Amino acid sequence: MKKAVLIVLLLLSAAALVFVYNDDFLYSQQIMKLTKIETVGEEISRNNLDLKEEHYTRRITGEILNGKDKGEKKSFLYDETYSSVVTDRFRVGDKVFIDGTDLQLKRDFYLALIVCLFVILIYIVGSFKGLLSVASVIINSVVFYIGLYLYIKGVDLLLLCVVEMLVFSVLSLILASGVNKKTLSAVISVMISTFVMLALLMIIVKTTDYKGINFNELSFLTVPAEDIILPELLIGSVGAVMDVAITISSSMAELLEKNRDISEKELNKSAKEIGKDIMGTMSNVLFFTYLCAGLPVFVLAIRNGFLLKNYISSNFSLELSRFLAGSIGIVITIPISAFVSIRLMKRGGSK
Amino acid sequence: MNLVLAVILFLLMLYIDRKRGLKLFVSLAMNFVVLIVIFYLTALGFNAVVCSLIGCFTVSCVMLFFVNGESIKTVSSIKAITVVLLILSVLIFSMAYVSRIAGFGYESYEEINMFSYDVKIDFTDIAISMILFSLIGATVDSSIAISSALYEVHENNKDLSRKELFISGMNIGKDILCTTANTLMFAFLGDFMTLLIWFYKCEYTFGEIVNAKTFASELIRILFSATGCIIVIPVTAFLTARALKKEKAEDGPDGVTNTET
Repeated sequence: MKKAVLIVLLLLSAAALVFVYNDDFLYSQQIMKLTKIETVGEEISRNNLDLKEEHYTRRITGEILNGKDKGEKKSFLYDETYSSVVTDRFRVGDKVFIDGTDLQLKRDFYLALIVCLFVILIYIVGSFKGLLSVASVIINSVVFYIGLYLYIKGVDLLLLCVVEMLVFSVLSLILASGVNKKTLSAVISVMISTFVMLALLMIIVKTTDYKGINFNELSFLTVPAEDIILPELLIGSVGAVMDVAITISSSMAELLEKNRDISEKELNKSAKEIGKDIMGTMSNVLFFTYLCAGLPVFVLAIRNGFLLKNYISSNFSLELSRFLAGSIGIVITIPISAFVSIRLMKRGGSK
Repeated sequence: MNLVLAVILFLLMLYIDRKRGLKLFVSLAMNFVVLIVIFYLTALGFNAVVCSLIGCFTVSCVMLFFVNGESIKTVSSIKAITVVLLILSVLIFSMAYVSRIAGFGYESYEEINMFSYDVKIDFTDIAISMILFSLIGATVDSSIAISSALYEVHENNKDLSRKELFISGMNIGKDILCTTANTLMFAFLGDFMTLLIWFYKCEYTFGEIVNAKTFASELIRILFSATGCIIVIPVTAFLTARALKKEKAEDGPDGVTNTET
């Protein structure tokens, strides 16, 4: 059975990859396949720290693959740098989009490749449960996208996020553990934790007025950064909060099943015991996921002569606050979900 | 604001467990320092990939040995993580090389336009190093979860063979996989949100989004984080099962020498 599904998955991925590799006709932009790259100029520049950077001018020739000019040859001049901060290094055989004189690499095949690899791996290790979690991720992304659509249409972002969080938690928890008391108690815990966290963050934001947070990173936004930071913090932490809630309520259910007469005090104690194990690992997951996002700008800044001290205090602030808010969410959820599941399963749960 | 958040987090952690909370907070601070030192070395021009591999190993040691103590569980975990890091760095290197996710996409030009771009550091290495760092947290998380759970299973039933232990490790892994996938996904969605709003406002087509460098690099980062915690499951299960059975053979029927404090 498992083998059969695996073979089907492999065939499907192969088909998808072949399709994506030949999907040029789907795009309205012109796509060119590079056949020749020549270097026509070379230049060395120095920046204010006296770093020598090589600039190359390349003549890129290729064949158009789609649209009315299909089959025609075109050539462009393209600037390339050693660091590739904003340029790409093209190679013969690459497909690029032509936008005026601007060239952009076609990346869809590589994304399809890694997605297929991922799905196959998750199936090998996690079997159907693994596929189910992929499904849950896809459904949640759709919900997320609908939310964004409503936001563009003018619905308040914070309100949307709170509603979305509830939808996310109901959907993913039911998919992960079915419709039962555990799930119910986890969903309720997620809701309560969300509200507590939201209230806490709002109080902090009101009293400190974002002091020390640098919004540079969000500068490309067309909306005020203050509107977007709270929703972002909430969405970023909901996964971890759900994770904690379901872990605690499952283990509470397990304990109650084994020993019906276990006292509330004992239950509370073991909830704390479990909680202290998960808070460590979960907060580490968030820590690295968020903080390393700042690496490229960090390198750029230091290489431009910024001082380490000034940089850390200003530019890591947003990543740090994301991590801190998420971790607070995790830790808050521990006592809340213990309380909810004890209430629900111990007192109300005499079947 | 971050100071206030940090103090609140610290107090909450202390409330859950005094000793563990303190240790955890200290370990986070240590990891922050390691991260900054590695980032700084990278920026000074040392090879980014080598730096980040060393950095990942160091922070794994902090998370495993400082927080959880040295034991058969953590030793198997660190071995598993090392194996996974080596396997993945090859994969990540080839992916970053072909998909050219180095540097910044159009969407972030405004953020970086105050800098000079002539910095003489290959940003492909920076991209690889960023992916390595973002997967280490989740990978250590699932590795330690598997090895501790297997240890418990072994303690409760010492007659299980190595193969049976491996299979139960894989079963535990399946549960962990789902929840970790969720945690990761939402953490990234939070990051993504501003970007997606931008795409929306600028009326990007689906094709433009999929081929944009910013989107591709974020997606590749998520998928590698998840891949890290997927492959670490069988590797940890295998290594822990082997270590547990080996101990038993050496120390007689009573088995495990528990060095955990």
